[in-house]
Amino acid sequence: MRRSSMSKALVRRETISGYLFLLPSLIFFVGFVVYPMIMCVYTSFFDATMGKDRQDIFIGLQNYKDLFKDPAFLKALKNTLVIVIVSVPVTCAFSLWVSSAIYKMRGPIRSAFRCIFYLPVVTGSVAVTVVWKWMYNNYYGIFNYIGKGLGIIEKNINWLGDERFALGCIILILLTTSVGQPIVLYVSALGNVDNSLVEAAQVDGANDLQVFWKIKWPQIMPTTLYIMVITTINSFQCFALIQLLTSGGPNHSTDTIMYYIYYQAFKLYHYGYGNAMGVILAIIIAIFSAVQFKLAKADTSY
Amino acid sequence: MATVTLKGIKKVYDNKVTAVHDFDLEIADKEFIVLVGPSGCGKSTTLRMVAGLEDISAGDLYIGDRRVNDVEPKDRDIAMVFQSYALYPHMTVYDNMAFALKLRKMPKDEIDRRVKEAAAILDITQYLDRKPKALSGGQRQRVAIGRAIVREPQVFLMDEPLSNLDAKLRNQMRAEIIKLRQRIDTTFIYVTHDQTEAMTLGDRIVIMKDGFIQQIGTPQEVFDEPTNMFVAGFIGTPQMNFFDGKVVKKGDGYELHTHGAVMELTKAAQEKLKAQNITEKDVTVGIRPEHVHLAEASKATLGAKVDVSEMMGSEIYLHVDADGKDVVLRIPSTELPSEWRAGIPYGTQIAFTFPPELLHLFDPETEKNILL
Repeated sequence: MRRSSMSKALVRRETISGYLFLLPSLIFFVGFVVYPMIMCVYTSFFDATMGKDRQDIFIGLQNYKDLFKDPAFLKALKNTLVIVIVSVPVTCAFSLWVSSAIYKMRGPIRSAFRCIFYLPVVTGSVAVTVVWKWMYNNYYGIFNYIGKGLGIIEKNINWLGDERFALGCIILILLTTSVGQPIVLYVSALGNVDNSLVEAAQVDGANDLQVFWKIKWPQIMPTTLYIMVITTINSFQCFALIQLLTSGGPNHSTDTIMYYIYYQAFKLYHYGYGNAMGVILAIIIAIFSAVQFKLAKADTSY
Repeated sequence: MATVTLKGIKKVYDNKVTAVHDFDLEIADKEFIVLVGPSGCGKSTTLRMVAGLEDISAGDLYIGDRRVNDVEPKDRDIAMVFQSYALYPHMTVYDNMAFALKLRKMPKDEIDRRVKEAAAILDITQYLDRKPKALSGGQRQRVAIGRAIVREPQVFLMDEPLSNLDAKLRNQMRAEIIKLRQRIDTTFIYVTHDQTEAMTLGDRIVIMKDGFIQQIGTPQEVFDEPTNMFVAGFIGTPQMNFFDGKVVKKGDGYELHTHGAVMELTKAAQEKLKAQNITEKDVTVGIRPEHVHLAEASKATLGAKVDVSEMMGSEIYLHVDADGKDVVLRIPSTELPSEWRAGIPYGTQIAFTFPPELLHLFDPETEKNILL
């Protein structure tokens, strides 16, 4: 009896100290993540302006109803989906291809490749964007120079200023910044595949391609899943590139939801409207991630 | 079913370390060969070269009449059981076993027949739907063997297949491998560091050390006629005892002086020594613990003091100190006087000797057996 009451006290003390250790990050998490999230959902039901004499008017679901009648939002939604649908598979496939080519190389060479592909991730996005802006330039950009030199294009193209090309140009930049982490992850995942499984498969009669798809690919499925989810989320939240390069133009052809939220909330002060979009974006990302988990889960359960 | 021939096989790694030196071996069809030796002796490397998982630096490897040095593992028609089992974790037991057959595009019903048959032999039919993770060590071991036997390969390679099992299971699986061998009757190459496995399984044993073959022979041969001190010490438990001694020519024959004892040698041994023109030579005397027996102290016995006596039930392992030398005697308890049946007290003075026909003489410098 005495012992159990003592251990209860002990448990309580441990619980308290556990929470004390958690407290600093918990305060930050609640103050800067949980509270804003709740506020976001809350204000999305108001005609919120957050002006000096703020008089938020409760309008129920009106913001959400308006959203789906707003052609700019629908365009932004479409653009965002295009970015996600193009960049997620391309990022996964490209980084898997690069990683499987470099993971068997010797240490220094492998590190050099990883470094090259990771560089755009750690370089400030402003610096990256400035360089790309220069490369895409209508008059002295390298793309026009090479394109004309090789006779692919006849006259200079205003890459970012042309509705037909602008979104593609954005996606290309996004790809360079998003393959770095997947490559690093894939290289280590491939390196961790038990070599005796590969040897067993070789003895069993598998060629290199069969070894890859039937043995290695299922083994790295958890990594693929993770990469798909983070790339999806990153692509949905594509913002800085748009802000720095095109501001959503020309004619909303590069608007993304993220950029449109910023535009509505901070340029036009339609906070409630912007927050409603934020909620929609969060829901879409959650659905996408859940589907990816569901699909990949079927393959990774062992 | 095929012969396997290794001619001057050599393995040199990139860092210039030679793992296997000039390995010559002819394995007959349906023979069970065991490669045995301490870790780092090159036995696994040799097996992996046969499998095609390691490049062969020099020499020729034939499976049947075909030179396979540059043939991919998948085209060598071999099956291998790995030490770690290497079961595909994302496949069920059934799929693990069917994998190789599916790659060969074998008809579904034939695959099904073979997998079910192998599963029945190995008694794993009820686990066919499970993933390897849900199996115990012994069951995984069976699946690994099953995956190899469904292939009906020409050569069956096993790389320390029992070393991850506990002692009891290991004995049981060893017996099953013997049974399995009678059943599937193909060429086996089996790698182990356990001399018991080597002795019980092999038709012939290849004993290796530091990349060199020490001796190739039947279990009986390597036990009775070890070519050198390494083989003599490696095969048999407890280890063979070694003493310093000297053979001295006396008249027409030879006698052996060791630790104060003077012993006769057999006729055959004396002939061998005579053939080598020896008049007097320092030797290392080797005698197995089970060949030593207690005796009344005499000219031909060595004296010793008991250190430890281990009662094993049917026999006693007696560790004695003979002139500063630790010697082990293995004595059936029925041969002991009744007061010693439960063990011999520490410090008891005893005398022991051994029959001349069971002793081995080695050259102390080359460590070679001089009676062969």
